[in-house]
Amino acid sequence: MKTQLSKSPADLQAKLEGQTRYVHDMRLPGQLVGKILRSPHPHARIVRLDVSRARAIKGVVAVLTGEDVPHHTYGPTKFKDWNILARDRVLFIGDEIAAVAAETDAAAKQAIAAIEVEYEELPGVFDPEEAMQPGAPVLHETIAGDNRPMRIALERGDVERHKQEAAVVKSGRYRSNRIYQGHLEPIGAIASWSDEEGITIWAPSHIPYRARETYAAGFGLPEDKVRIVVPPIGGSFGSKYVLKVHVIAAALAMAARRPVKIIMDRYEDMVTAHPRVPLTFDLEIGADREGNLLYKDVVVYADAGARVYWSPNVIATACTRPDNIYRFQSAKSEGHLCYTNNSPTTCMRGFGNAEMLFAVESVIDEIALELGMDPAELRLRNIVRPGERTIHGYRLDTCLLEECIDKVKAISGWERRADLPPYRGMGIALANHVSGFRAIDPRFDGSTAVLRLKGDGSLELETGEIELGQGMSLSYARIAAQVLGVPEGSILVKSGDTGRYPFGIGTLASRSTVMGGNAAKLAAEALQRRLVSLACEVLGKGASLEDGRIRYGEETYPLSEAAAWHRARHAGEELTVRETYVPDTEMPDATYYGHPSPNYPFAAHVAEVEVDPDTGRTRVVGYWAVHDSGTIIHETMAKGQVYGAVAQGIGWVTMEDLIVEQGRVKNPSMMDYRMPGARDIPNIEIAFLEGEDPNGPLGAKSLGEVALDPVPGAIANAIAHATGKRGYELPLSAERVWRAIHST
Amino acid sequence: MNSAQQQAMTLTINGRETVWDGDPSASLADVLREGQGLTGTKIGCRTGECGACTVLMDGRPVVSCLVPAGSAQGERIETIEGLAERADYQALVQAMLEHGGVQCGFCTPGVMVTTYAWMQQPERFDGDLGAALKNNLCRCTGYLGILRAAEQALAAGGGAR
Ligand code: FES
Ligand code: FES
Repeated sequence: MKTQLSKSPADLQAKLEGQTRYVHDMRLPGQLVGKILRSPHPHARIVRLDVSRARAIKGVVAVLTGEDVPHHTYGPTKFKDWNILARDRVLFIGDEIAAVAAETDAAAKQAIAAIEVEYEELPGVFDPEEAMQPGAPVLHETIAGDNRPMRIALERGDVERHKQEAAVVKSGRYRSNRIYQGHLEPIGAIASWSDEEGITIWAPSHIPYRARETYAAGFGLPEDKVRIVVPPIGGSFGSKYVLKVHVIAAALAMAARRPVKIIMDRYEDMVTAHPRVPLTFDLEIGADREGNLLYKDVVVYADAGARVYWSPNVIATACTRPDNIYRFQSAKSEGHLCYTNNSPTTCMRGFGNAEMLFAVESVIDEIALELGMDPAELRLRNIVRPGERTIHGYRLDTCLLEECIDKVKAISGWERRADLPPYRGMGIALANHVSGFRAIDPRFDGSTAVLRLKGDGSLELETGEIELGQGMSLSYARIAAQVLGVPEGSILVKSGDTGRYPFGIGTLASRSTVMGGNAAKLAAEALQRRLVSLACEVLGKGASLEDGRIRYGEETYPLSEAAAWHRARHAGEELTVRETYVPDTEMPDATYYGHPSPNYPFAAHVAEVEVDPDTGRTRVVGYWAVHDSGTIIHETMAKGQVYGAVAQGIGWVTMEDLIVEQGRVKNPSMMDYRMPGARDIPNIEIAFLEGEDPNGPLGAKSLGEVALDPVPGAIANAIAHATGKRGYELPLSAERVWRAIHST
Repeated sequence: MNSAQQQAMTLTINGRETVWDGDPSASLADVLREGQGLTGTKIGCRTGECGACTVLMDGRPVVSCLVPAGSAQGERIETIEGLAERADYQALVQAMLEHGGVQCGFCTPGVMVTTYAWMQQPERFDGDLGAALKNNLCRCTGYLGILRAAEQALAAGGGAR
């Protein structure tokens, strides 16, 4: 019998031994199978919907249509365009029309097949620029009569003047594509209802408090009548935020008065996928003869799909964040977020920044080429420096970008670049990111931690942030352990239950290390003070906490003793502290100016590729990643973030493309949507330049997203170097590269 | 779909013989998970494309979502729960923790089963773990942690040889 306890429900060792229970491994008493009927048309009116045959099938407990569910105005962002089930019109292939809960999978399937629907097909619009034209079918009349729920227009400095002054101007229309997040665990949820507690949903979501608020609004319930419990998450990368599947499972559970489990199969997951927001950039950058960047001018078109998930935040990021890497003297961005009859698009690691950087880093290489400058030199000349305030107002207390460039040149052997054999190339790209973003929730920012001394002297740390396997729990345990001088293994980190743990804004925008980590640090410091004052009260003045034990003169006492002292004085209550970290940041203003994050990580990456001129196929043969993420708290997990991000970037640039034609996904299987395998990944050499950041816990900055941000640019630049031809559209597939090579 | 024929089948799972009544065309993955409660084996696709459901049949990795339970009769079936009991498997676990071979963990049972099989008999896979893992997708780790962990465990004598 095993008596060793895991460090958290998502403990890595348990995962390696097959002991971790994800939502699809759970089974509640009386649980039913839920299934969803989805629209086969990208835009249609529902003329007739008859579920009577489905209701009559043996084993069917509940069948719901748009007539059976509430229709409140709700949605996860300020653009409230969601429903629970469609009432009269469907807006994309996969839009939910009806749902069934049944005793068995077979009965549920049979019921779905027995639902009769007649549609009147309506003209659809599938391209954001077409969607903006007069006469295009309008998706949400009340939100955007012109299909444009959001427009961005900002300018700093005098772009027109710099256009006159520029000696070199490079421009182009760049496109980033739909990427399927590729979570290995298919999307699913279990929901239950009780009259006392309301809705409980077991759902892998890394933004469960926003999910709670959103779903409560959808049902017209108070927020605390929805509880989200987060089982271990089997991969997300942005796909598992706030999802209609969760809402529909809850609606079925309410109707059936029994728990309902919906697990999508991979086909359904991919056909109805909410992929990375595809962006089109008309980008122009100008420089003077010495290679000083003068201006950047961009128009961005974003395809939101038929409803708004997180696309507004993605386009806002694309329109601003990459500008904070260089000393542009002026910058102008125009952004158009458009509805189309495609499946709604959403966030994925990189969140608009990686996409825009693909375009920016490509154009900067074009400028270097024209000026006959080394691309690394051109960058060094223009990067932001520590102590500066960037063009959009980011305050850089720390910035080791220069050191990152020097280091990546050294470890990649950058000087080899000049004499590589034909069809071999090296490319460099830079990146920045945030560690949390003030505007994710305009109402508040920060994080709360609760730290509790248990009777056996071990500690429990509760947080509102979410473990995704990235190592958050290990980091928090390490931070608290360093403050208190206790072994890391004596701290159990708990999170992922809106009914039990402190409020959390969500694990997105690379928030968790700095926001939750600072809260963990504050809580550990508070506990230390409480322990010392308790010891002084019990033992006498001069008692202290040393190496995780209470010391008084020559005597030392274990923390279990201190736990007992506290309980004896407080009616048995455990010694508990609760601390909130509120970052010293600024809410970006209406023009997106402000200092939105406690600190900013930076990176410089170099990719080396080999292109086969006969097939156009690119093989990444070497990769070097240098990071300024402040102090690295857990090196193994930090490296894992970089390896994983680079692998995802290699997939994105060289092979992955969720192909959607007239709203229909053409490659909804892992066979046809190829993701990198073990043999597609070259050796990746990583260097962390550890400088302490004053605003991060133990000096840390974020890492998860900045590790992906430069990858598309670095590989694209390497391919351009290898072939002499610039690729403008992701992915740079074999076919596209071949065409470019053979174009004149 | 066709659950018409029920049949008693004898399966040897993790060294124990069990008789299971059911449809012999049901997938081995479902029988292990639903029938035997062995949820360590994961289902990522049901179409043989992701490798999360990999188990060993007579020491050979197979995607159990594509194996009809009936055809697994008479074979030695080993799942991650069974392998986890072994000392040499534990060496691999420790190496994976050291090298970052696991993050979200959903691919992990399949990856571990394949890697363990490779450590027993590398020649079965042309010697190369990268080749052995060609049917195992991992979206989190970028594979390098997995490869390094396996090399370390093998060098430390974790294999059967
Ligand atoms: S579930 Fe069997 S290969 Fe994916
Ligand atoms: S650890 Fe998440 S897919 Fe491999």
